[in-house]
Amino acid sequence: MSPLVLTLPVALLAGAWLAAWIDRLAPALWGGRAAGPLAPLRDGAALLARPNATTEAPDRLTRWLAPGTYLVLAAAGLSVVPLAPGVAAVDSPVGIVVWGACEALTVVAVFLHGWSPNSPFPLIGAYRYTAIGLPVMLPSMFVLIAAALPAESLSLIAVVEAQREVWNLVRQPIGLPLFLIVGLTLTLRGPFDFADGADIAGGTSAEESGPGRALWQLARLTMLTAFSAMAATAFLGGPLGPGLPAPMWLALKTVAVMLLTILACHALARTVPSRMLHLLWVAALPLSFLHLALAGWVAL
Amino acid sequence: MTLVSIIALGLFAVWTGWRVFVVDSMVRASFSLMLSFLCTGGIALILHADYLGAATVFMMAVEMMVMAIFMVMFMMNPAGLNPMKMVHQERLSILMGALAFGVFVGAVLRSDLPDAPVAADRPATFDLGTELLGPSMLIFETAGVTLLAAMVAAVVLSSRTGRYGEADAGARPPGLTEGGDPAGRQPEEGGHHHHHH
Repeated sequence: MSPLVLTLPVALLAGAWLAAWIDRLAPALWGGRAAGPLAPLRDGAALLARPNATTEAPDRLTRWLAPGTYLVLAAAGLSVVPLAPGVAAVDSPVGIVVWGACEALTVVAVFLHGWSPNSPFPLIGAYRYTAIGLPVMLPSMFVLIAAALPAESLSLIAVVEAQREVWNLVRQPIGLPLFLIVGLTLTLRGPFDFADGADIAGGTSAEESGPGRALWQLARLTMLTAFSAMAATAFLGGPLGPGLPAPMWLALKTVAVMLLTILACHALARTVPSRMLHLLWVAALPLSFLHLALAGWVAL
Repeated sequence: MTLVSIIALGLFAVWTGWRVFVVDSMVRASFSLMLSFLCTGGIALILHADYLGAATVFMMAVEMMVMAIFMVMFMMNPAGLNPMKMVHQERLSILMGALAFGVFVGAVLRSDLPDAPVAADRPATFDLGTELLGPSMLIFETAGVTLLAAMVAAVVLSSRTGRYGEADAGARPPGLTEGGDPAGRQPEEGGHHHHHH
């Protein structure tokens, strides 16, 4: 661990604000109204001014632990991302596995967020999300293992080094689209928002208001930031690039992945959970097997 | 510092492990157990077994999530929020627990533990890989393929749709009393189509 850990809160907050703003710009693509850069801050402040909602016999500890854990997981995931070649806030020799652990614990955090208010809609959201979130973990693991193959190491610093000649995006073209599914699931977005969907009155957040809701939304946005940085590192060469300083390249690529994720979130429709579950097991999983086999063949 | 963290994590692991039997809900029990395992993962991380530590966290998160769902599904405790008793056969369990504890402590005290520290440049992961894919390969591969086959078979058996149609087609739920009417919603009698004039 190094003093670079102090950059994490700054990066996460800046990323969360930017993501929230892009989210409010996206409707302009379909003829809606775009909002200014201050809109997310205004909305956040309005949420903070409202009182917290209470439910009958909730699990109070878990109700606060869930959004807090989500936020911490985003920070932990981002901490292993190299900011410059050879430099990361936490230089873990198994950075990819650490990120995988953050992904798995995210499913737990979202489930507990829906379970703890003791209310039907949040609970339905929690169950739906878990049913989709667990099978998404499998393609995620194969995609991450494939990204580690050319580096012959689970360290993200080595994964970046291995992309000096050519990015993983070129070597493993279906890796990023598959990983995008993981990102949409981790951040409860668009076609994979089975937790907080409008069709079940806000799902796990249905009973949330005030600071509790603000914390949950912030955690979702920070997780989007961490995911974008991880995808940029695994597929777009992370901080590598000519001219600009290395952290700038990482920031630019992170924003590019973030734009792509938010676009997918707004452009793609959500299907029913059972059909999505079918698609995940029957299409996404074999595709990720194929991806891993191809990546292994290319790496050899 | 290392020792203090290990002791703290160990104590937290024991406490959360004890909580599993005290809390009154399957969901709380599952995630207490998960916390206990996460502490073990943390201890592995502190001891520089990086991969084992991170993999423990990853596997236990998924495993306990699956367990929580199935426990709630099969227990008469919808949603796992209603209070329920978490222990049964207490006397036998206490006896067995004390016995197992005694045996393990005896085994630890009686065995000759190595105290030579492993050299920092020893490729431990590489050695483990050589062991897994060398002399023990047949055992691990056999176990792996057997487990995979069992998983596929379990999914096939539990799947509702299959080669011979819906698995529950024509199934009748058991009666509430012996030989009584089937429980649950009754299918509507005969009238497929009502004529309206």
